[in-house]
Amino acid sequence: MTSFFRKLSWLSRHRRKEDELQEELQFHLEEEAEQRRAQGMATEEARRAAHRDLGNIGLLKENTREMWGWTAAGQLVQDVRFGTRMLWKNRGFTAVAIATLALGIGVNATVFTVTNATLFKGFPLVHRNDRILYMTTSRGCCVSYPDFEDWRAQAKSFEGMALVHGLGITFSDQSAFPQRYTVTEVSAETFKLIGQKPILGRDFGPSDESPGAAPVVILRYGFWERRFGKDPAIIGRTVRLNGAPTTVIGVMPRGFSFPQNQDLWVPLVPTPDVRRRDNHETWFVFGRLAEGVTIESARAEMEPIGKRLASAYPRTNQGFLPEVRNFREFFIGSNATIIYQAMWGAVGFVLLIACANLANLLLARAMGRSREISVRIALGAGRWRIIRQLLIESMMLSGLGGFLGWWIAKWGVRIYALAANGASISDETAGDWFDHILDYSMDYRVFAYLVAISIGTGILFGLAPALRLSKFDVNTTLKDGGRGATGGGRGKHLSALLVIGEMALAVVLLAGAGVMIRSFLNVYTADLGFKTENILTALMSLPKLRYPGAEAQTSFYDRLETRLQAIPGVESMAITDFNPGQSALSVPYELAGAPPLNEQRCPRVTRLVISPAYFRTLGTAVLSGREFNDADRASGVPVVIVNQRFASQYWPGENPLGKRLRLFRGTTPEAWLTVVGIAPNIAQNGATRHEFDPVAYLPYRQQPAGGMWVIARTRVPPGGLATAFRREVQALDSELPISFGPAPLAERFAPALQYKGFTAVLFLIFAAIALLLASVGLYAVIAHSVSQRTQEIGIRMAVGGTARDILKLVFMQGMLQLGIGLTIGLAAAFAVTPILKSQLVQVSPADPIAYVVASAVLVLSATLGCLIPARRAMRVDPLVALRHD
Amino acid sequence: MAHGPARIELLQGTLDVLILRTLVARPSHGHAIAKHIQRTSEDLLQVETGSLYPALHRLEAKGWIAASWELSDKAKRAKYYRLTSLGRKQLSIEQSKWQTFSRAMELILNPLDQEAQ
Repeated sequence: MTSFFRKLSWLSRHRRKEDELQEELQFHLEEEAEQRRAQGMATEEARRAAHRDLGNIGLLKENTREMWGWTAAGQLVQDVRFGTRMLWKNRGFTAVAIATLALGIGVNATVFTVTNATLFKGFPLVHRNDRILYMTTSRGCCVSYPDFEDWRAQAKSFEGMALVHGLGITFSDQSAFPQRYTVTEVSAETFKLIGQKPILGRDFGPSDESPGAAPVVILRYGFWERRFGKDPAIIGRTVRLNGAPTTVIGVMPRGFSFPQNQDLWVPLVPTPDVRRRDNHETWFVFGRLAEGVTIESARAEMEPIGKRLASAYPRTNQGFLPEVRNFREFFIGSNATIIYQAMWGAVGFVLLIACANLANLLLARAMGRSREISVRIALGAGRWRIIRQLLIESMMLSGLGGFLGWWIAKWGVRIYALAANGASISDETAGDWFDHILDYSMDYRVFAYLVAISIGTGILFGLAPALRLSKFDVNTTLKDGGRGATGGGRGKHLSALLVIGEMALAVVLLAGAGVMIRSFLNVYTADLGFKTENILTALMSLPKLRYPGAEAQTSFYDRLETRLQAIPGVESMAITDFNPGQSALSVPYELAGAPPLNEQRCPRVTRLVISPAYFRTLGTAVLSGREFNDADRASGVPVVIVNQRFASQYWPGENPLGKRLRLFRGTTPEAWLTVVGIAPNIAQNGATRHEFDPVAYLPYRQQPAGGMWVIARTRVPPGGLATAFRREVQALDSELPISFGPAPLAERFAPALQYKGFTAVLFLIFAAIALLLASVGLYAVIAHSVSQRTQEIGIRMAVGGTARDILKLVFMQGMLQLGIGLTIGLAAAFAVTPILKSQLVQVSPADPIAYVVASAVLVLSATLGCLIPARRAMRVDPLVALRHD
Repeated sequence: MAHGPARIELLQGTLDVLILRTLVARPSHGHAIAKHIQRTSEDLLQVETGSLYPALHRLEAKGWIAASWELSDKAKRAKYYRLTSLGRKQLSIEQSKWQTFSRAMELILNPLDQEAQ
């Protein structure tokens, strides 16, 4: 029988072995005493001498027992059993501890799951997306088709490269009304590059790219589901894209979209126009790194390629250098990355506070347990054994906390996903694609993280009290009646330090949440320069076939205006190529008399095409000069209205009326324009930015375009007029699709606003948890110290101390800790909050109001935490207190 | 415990050999083993009871000794340990190790004696 099996058989006979050991030692004692008696000792003395000779029987037994089994495992079971008893005995403490931990671990696991979805799981439908790079140019936008071809031919770092180009398109067939969708032109190898293929039909092939090939389209799964009820016979059917008959050749897998929220994909056909090197449309290049190539080496290879192209084609490529970025960066963006980092920081702080709280609770409880521990040491427990026992107890707490935390996280993630849905990081893209792509489910990573932080926190909050407790001087503790050992000196300092730390962390969180809230309020109450309410907006695109020229288009809008104005409740109507507040085109420009356009710097101005009633419809008016009128037509003098910001930036202190400027289309200058009016500043390019860009307004009769937004100011809530609006459009042209709307303009701003509000509320929740934990922590420490000092308080009162003195005594202790914590915390907040800078709108990261409010809130709740135990101290009855053990 | 004047602390690992050697003669209980070691070493070695019993149980777990409950010479129930065949083998290994070791110590500490011989 090997040692292993012998021990195994002993394991089942544990009780008998225990009895036998007792008997064996008893025999030894008797034998020893017998011998000593034989040497002439008195019976009682011999018995005592034998005991002395044997030494600490508890320790001896413990050491012997260790030989019976796999010591560690056996003791672990014993420790866990004992720990369970201890935790059950102190149910109140256990409940508070577990709740604190569950909260701390829960919010951490929630944030981890959410971050996990984007940062670690990434995009499950894009194969090996860590090897995918996104390439653009040093100007941010964009790559021309010939550049792309040169890159693809010359770069050796890539397995393949694809070019994609997003645009809006009107989709129609017999089954439903024509509708506007997003379509992406992709080079034929795009899906192969990202490792996906259609679940139905076929992928694009090289033949689809050749000029003159029959037009084909691939559908998104969701689109196929909604529009065609997942009809498998869709393959080969003809639909109309912008009126052109197109064959459906495939359907992509469920949940797949690329690069962002696309409904349809068509092959990018390199027409002569596309092949122009100066045609920098919104094209993105994606590349898959070849095996063994790093992003750095790919970057190093792309740079000389870009420089060669720049010197070969100075007119178009001067200043355009390739820029290589991570695919994930493209998706998540720096905005979201900062938010994730800040969330991590915030929940990390919450967990630290929870740990400090627990350490304090354990320290306080340690005083109650010092006697128990001393007895155990006296009975032969080694120091390591004591530490281990205490650590196992704290691990059990954190384990249970972690288990509960998992439930909290499950709900937290669900609520997060619900709230995040529809909220969008940017101003206009609705957030839904994010959720289609992201998978918020909890996977093994979340589980591993949960286990790791549970064990980690168990050690973190358990170690300090365990180390302190195990260092007892047994004699003093036992004589002392169980106080003293940790009651004074370093135990108290440690607990004060922990409270100060908690206060400081809570201030940082409160201040951070404060500036976020301030920023949100700024956005919420932001003055966009016009009245957003009671505006109805709809996007029309007039098909070129039926509205071939400027004449046909303007005449359509003129007739629409007459009809809309006739709807009761409509005040005025205007058209514009981009909605106010939202993104618009920005183009290079040149001022008359200024040095010629600098290709390198390439200053841009926001360009908006509007009808005469635009400002009136927004509820404002031009400040000086005149509005556009019907005379500003193609045959008239080309005119422009600039906004105040433009005027003050480029012609400060001068009268801008009559000045001249010209805009560029690509690199081609257009006609010189004369400034005829100054418009008030109206937000453009993001309603949440709270900044006014220079804007140049052009009359739509001189800049005709097929796709325009029709905006109408209404006297009644705009939603109610949508049907009447649609009816009038149908009456004019029954086949004309309304690509978007009609919908209230304010709704367009909702997702971005929601996002800002959402993050602000998120941080507020974290800060509130931190505040709660920190205040409870302070309360617990003060309350405990009051109960420890009952005797002292009693004496003070007995020798004439008033209730006020006592209140002051207790109060000052708490206030001192609060004061130090607050000071450190404010200093830390000044250092930390600047990482939020890019997220803040019109508020400094060190916003005094946010800081003052944060401090006030903390002081208030800490005062409450002190006041309750202080009042209890005040009511101490000296007689009772002096007898208090 | 006022015993002999110059007692020697047991070296790490020596207790096991001493126990095994003691049990060669006859099975014995813990107290007798301790006394035997003390006596045979002319009171130079003092066995700490604190380490004797853990050692006995360790050797039992290893299978070098086996235990059984028997009546002592004073007719009391006692736990008697005896050497197993595995223990006998182990003892001879340990013994030769110790002999080599003590010869080596002798050579180093008293080189002159060696030369004189």
